[in-house]
Amino acid sequence: MLAKREDMILDELVSIVGKDNATAAKHIRYAYSYDLSFVKPKLPDYVVMATTVEQIQSIFRLANRDKIPVVPYTAGSNIGGLCIPEHGGILLDLKRMNKIIRIDTESHYAVIEPGVSHAQLAMELYKHNLRWSWPVGPPSASVSSNALCHGIGGMSGRYGLNSEEITSMEVVLPTGELVRVGSCAIQEDSWHSVLPLPQLDGLFKGWLGTSGVVTKMGVRVHPIPPILKVFTVSTRSIEDMTSYMVNLGNYEICDDLTAVSWWLSQVPIPYPYKPKPDAAPEWYCFGATNSWTQKEKEAREEIWQNVLDEEKKKGTSIEYADYPEEALKARTQLPSRIVGSTKNYTKMAGGGISWPGTFTPANKWAPVYNKWKEILIEHNLSPSVRATNYRGVHYGMLRAMIPFNKQSAEETENARHAIVECLKVDLDAGGIPYKPPVDFAAEINKRAHPGYLSLLKQVKKLLDPNDIMNTGKLGF
Amino acid sequence: MEWNIATLEELKDILWRCTACGNCKAAYNYGPPPEFGEICPAGAEFGFEGFMASKGKIAFARGILDGQLEWTDELLDAIYKCTVCAGCQNQCELDHKPFIPEIIEAMRRKAVQDGIGPMPTQKKIAQSMRSYNNPYQGPRRVRTDWTRPFKKAKKPIKDINKEPADILYYVGCTGAFNLPARGVPVATASLFQKLGLDFGILGENEICCGSTAMRIGDAEEFKRVAQSNLETFRMLHEERGVKTIVTSCAGCYRAIKKDYILSSEYDKMMDGIQVVHTVDLLNTLFKEGKLKFTGELPMKVTYHDPCHTGRHLTKFVIDKEGSQLWKGAYVGLNDEDCLYDVPREILRAIPGIELVEMERIRDNSYCCGGGGGVMTGYGDWAAKNASKRIEEGMQTGAEHMVSICPFCHYNLNEGSRRISSEMKLYDLVELLDQVISETDKA
Repeated sequence: MLAKREDMILDELVSIVGKDNATAAKHIRYAYSYDLSFVKPKLPDYVVMATTVEQIQSIFRLANRDKIPVVPYTAGSNIGGLCIPEHGGILLDLKRMNKIIRIDTESHYAVIEPGVSHAQLAMELYKHNLRWSWPVGPPSASVSSNALCHGIGGMSGRYGLNSEEITSMEVVLPTGELVRVGSCAIQEDSWHSVLPLPQLDGLFKGWLGTSGVVTKMGVRVHPIPPILKVFTVSTRSIEDMTSYMVNLGNYEICDDLTAVSWWLSQVPIPYPYKPKPDAAPEWYCFGATNSWTQKEKEAREEIWQNVLDEEKKKGTSIEYADYPEEALKARTQLPSRIVGSTKNYTKMAGGGISWPGTFTPANKWAPVYNKWKEILIEHNLSPSVRATNYRGVHYGMLRAMIPFNKQSAEETENARHAIVECLKVDLDAGGIPYKPPVDFAAEINKRAHPGYLSLLKQVKKLLDPNDIMNTGKLGF
Repeated sequence: MEWNIATLEELKDILWRCTACGNCKAAYNYGPPPEFGEICPAGAEFGFEGFMASKGKIAFARGILDGQLEWTDELLDAIYKCTVCAGCQNQCELDHKPFIPEIIEAMRRKAVQDGIGPMPTQKKIAQSMRSYNNPYQGPRRVRTDWTRPFKKAKKPIKDINKEPADILYYVGCTGAFNLPARGVPVATASLFQKLGLDFGILGENEICCGSTAMRIGDAEEFKRVAQSNLETFRMLHEERGVKTIVTSCAGCYRAIKKDYILSSEYDKMMDGIQVVHTVDLLNTLFKEGKLKFTGELPMKVTYHDPCHTGRHLTKFVIDKEGSQLWKGAYVGLNDEDCLYDVPREILRAIPGIELVEMERIRDNSYCCGGGGGVMTGYGDWAAKNASKRIEEGMQTGAEHMVSICPFCHYNLNEGSRRISSEMKLYDLVELLDQVISETDKA
């Protein structure tokens, strides 16, 4: 009976998207069953490639009727297992919806489909001397998925998260209903902003693909100033580095202000853990700035020099530091060849990477990092940690990139344990994980205000009454 | 003769080094300016992740190895739809990078070993190899049909079985048996004669290099012909004075340069013999001033890099001792054997020729679609893919496309015909033969 029923569903899916775009073949499903992370592989029951909004609507109507989970997928390069189906169902691959619908060179926004990759958008924007906040991720990753999951990029120091750069969206709700948020909701071809309307875009940002499929997205893009200047320093402690980054961050002159621990600055990250040489600083920082004129660059240099002098006067361990050329290129030429390709993360580790990636304000970096270091070393893992300022000093990021040997169930489990332990430390300090695997979501929910959880569930129920959309990813 | 051809099981540790990051899925030059392009023919056509680049093939390999995937016709079909063009390998930055084509072919070898591969149409290749020593079901006598004009013109090509020569022109089965590609050996021999080169051919005694067999996973057949060829090459060196083997076929070039070295006897058999592609030899002569142009070709062309003379020949530096990084780690690469600049330099030197480039070139070149047995296994799709490449060429404003591989020659012309394009694919030697006259003899 089950086989017959499955065949009928496949037949219906085929009737929606065509025979070449829907399958239940196991080898195809297997290729969607895992990602880079420690999240255990799970197979979808069907894989479907949609090419139109109408097809997505039809798929959701079918899924609602039979209460089949639907997991949205663009590139599958997140490292939180977000596209691994918790309860099987339909894996909805959106890579073929990859049109750049518009680049508005006057109002500086672009309208894109979900399958548009960073590589694709980078090439087209560059023709107009425009840029997006490219993440430290593979060029093949999806621009809209990254933005929807609160991804960060090379301009997050200045403009904040990539989700803050979304201007408008067209969305298919899990019920199949087509909705719009932002200016395009009022005027068909107007995609410039989400304000001053009520911010309904929040219904789809940070929901881990559980509240709808964004079929068109407007994003702010920015001109490319011609002069790049990167300020690089080192310190011997996270406390000294935090002091410097908060100080410099106050001036809001950096597109990106990021520090990495010695272990993360290594290419590759040592796996298993190896001690840092005593003579080496523990933290390196780069602050990327872009200027329109030489004088503007000099003004930024003056500010930076003043900050450096002030920090030295405080008696901190701050020093000017040469950043390794290859690593600096990787940091300033995004999306990144080296970091994005994960070359430096997994060499000899065996194909696994996971992270506790968190929003943690700078004043909590030191206590959290110091504890993380203990936990990770205890698990024989390198404390390869990154700290980044968002929008000056308004908030911050702290994350550890942990490679592990995915061939070994034991080593994978060891990494998972260590990472979840780290996460708990951060949550207890007031940090919040982003792009969280289900393991993290459970920890978030444990600490959540009951009113928040209740509202979250009510909204989810409203949007997705049959709980078919990426079922289980929110940890409830 | 022992052969070090890895099984899929032997590559297990290596294929676990893929993170599934997806870097392999698109060609991307970081710039500035940044440049993006599709790179995986099967991924572009069939879309599902399993078809897509290295990430998809590694998924299949893992599934087969961990027992999650059993052989089915659909799985086999997906594995054989890869053109093994190494485009994904060129994008990858992880430690399985040097082994990506090897992993794909090892899956095919396993399929053949398990009695399920290759694809039905490709089985004819295997049978033909056994019956005729070539993949075209061509009788031995047909192998020299292309030499008739030379006989008629009283310019017979030296039979190296009977007379010594410095150079063995190893024609290859495609040039000899594939009618539309016969212009390649004809032009090559014509040029060599004009240049006064001391060369000969094996004629009816030439057998397949084994490239096609290797690409479709028939390692046993590859080994049989490769061993025979290595023995022939040794004999030709010792008894006929052959110092150079010239091939105008990218597949033969790749096989002899890269697959034959998997033999334990390679160094011994090939001692004193160099293997070069025709364009390499011609470029040397050009630089020495021995190749001069008398004619002119007022023609705007674009150049298509064959996978087998390009990124398939990238050499990877692998730190096996662990002195630089960890044992087995991929450290770096060099492309000294990749023929990217040489054909372009020659093209630019031809009077009247204007070379305009496509967006995807050199190591990011888009496969013609005919490699990895796809031309035989999936002829229609191979031509469809080729038509995409032709369209890309047309966008440059070029009138014609030039390449240095008889597979590309055949397939791209099929692709052009498919879309009723005026664009024709010429082999570089076909153009050179038009602008070099007898008087240019060295």
